[in-house]
Amino acid sequence: MKAFQRGLLVAAIAALVSVVVRVRSKGPVPPTSGGGWRELQGPDFR
Amino acid sequence: MSTVLVVGLGEVGVRTARQLIDTPGIDRVIVASRRLDHAREVASALHDGAEPLQLGRDDPLPPGIDAIASALPSEVDPGLARRAVAAGVPYASSADRDATLGALLALDADARARGTRVVAGCGLAPGLADVLARHAVGALDSVDELHVARWGVAGPESAAEARRALREPAHEWRDGELVHEKHRHAELIWYPDPVGARECELVATGVELLVAANPGAGRITSRLGLPPNRRLVPPARRDPSAQWGAVRVEAWGWRGTTRTSVVYGVIERAGVAAGTVLGVTGAWLAGALPNVASAPEPGAVGLGAVVEPVAFLAELARRGVKAAAFEGVAIA
Repeated sequence: MKAFQRGLLVAAIAALVSVVVRVRSKGPVPPTSGGGWRELQGPDFR
Repeated sequence: MSTVLVVGLGEVGVRTARQLIDTPGIDRVIVASRRLDHAREVASALHDGAEPLQLGRDDPLPPGIDAIASALPSEVDPGLARRAVAAGVPYASSADRDATLGALLALDADARARGTRVVAGCGLAPGLADVLARHAVGALDSVDELHVARWGVAGPESAAEARRALREPAHEWRDGELVHEKHRHAELIWYPDPVGARECELVATGVELLVAANPGAGRITSRLGLPPNRRLVPPARRDPSAQWGAVRVEAWGWRGTTRTSVVYGVIERAGVAAGTVLGVTGAWLAGALPNVASAPEPGAVGLGAVVEPVAFLAELARRGVKAAAFEGVAIA
């Protein structure tokens, strides 16, 4: 019974930590590709 | 004299009416709502360039209509489409629920019999995404993969539809069959700035329209990402770019002996982009913009199957909805 309670406590702490990490996350990882966006202009429409 | 009826006067419908009013060759725009006061309000906001009309579910369509542009909610859209087909009036719809797209395409036989046309998927995605997909596929000698993604919604109805799409089973096209994907495989998709990287999940929305318009592609996926509900986010953490909508299309295939990719993207207010696509399609159905798609033949199809992508994108660019190409090294 004691082991079960301890397991529950560990699971609860893990869930809490994952929520905190997710909320405090700084957002997406940087891009893994080089390059950029170029607006399509007149020649692209010919 | 061309007359277009616009129904569904939400974020998309109002923009559609604006675009139609500004289209040479469209002489009359009627904005219809179940509530006459709402239709009057919209017509007044459009500086009386449109005529208000009360149109209930059982009311007859007004006479002299050359095309209908519908931004109605998905559940009521097929009902009006059936009435339009019965009356022989061409119909364009921005509805994006998969079942609704199927119901619109199922009108094919009736539309052929009546000699009229139904064009489904004339919003952001399906819609603008299908135009970009055709443009990307056209830049390759042969295509084997096509990946479409959309981020953002046009209003409360659109947000509800998007949440529904994320709950419904996801499908992708793989080697000639529609495969049910049990896992949504959330993935970071890179859109043009200021939207940037957004997590998007696999959905079924619009996959079948993409397959019909791009039969050579062996794998086709559609992804969707939603901004968080503003009410649930503290003011300090609100995302300023959450008001934008974005579409990204990535096609992989062969140019000569080289395997390469073509990536196109668009960012715009979601309602503006969807309304412009629907407005241009409605104007084409009414005969005002004959070069943006192939000659109207009777039947029910998706926008991607009939569009002339270069002319359509040029028309959108003239109206301020500009596409961009990603130039660099994409990672397969």
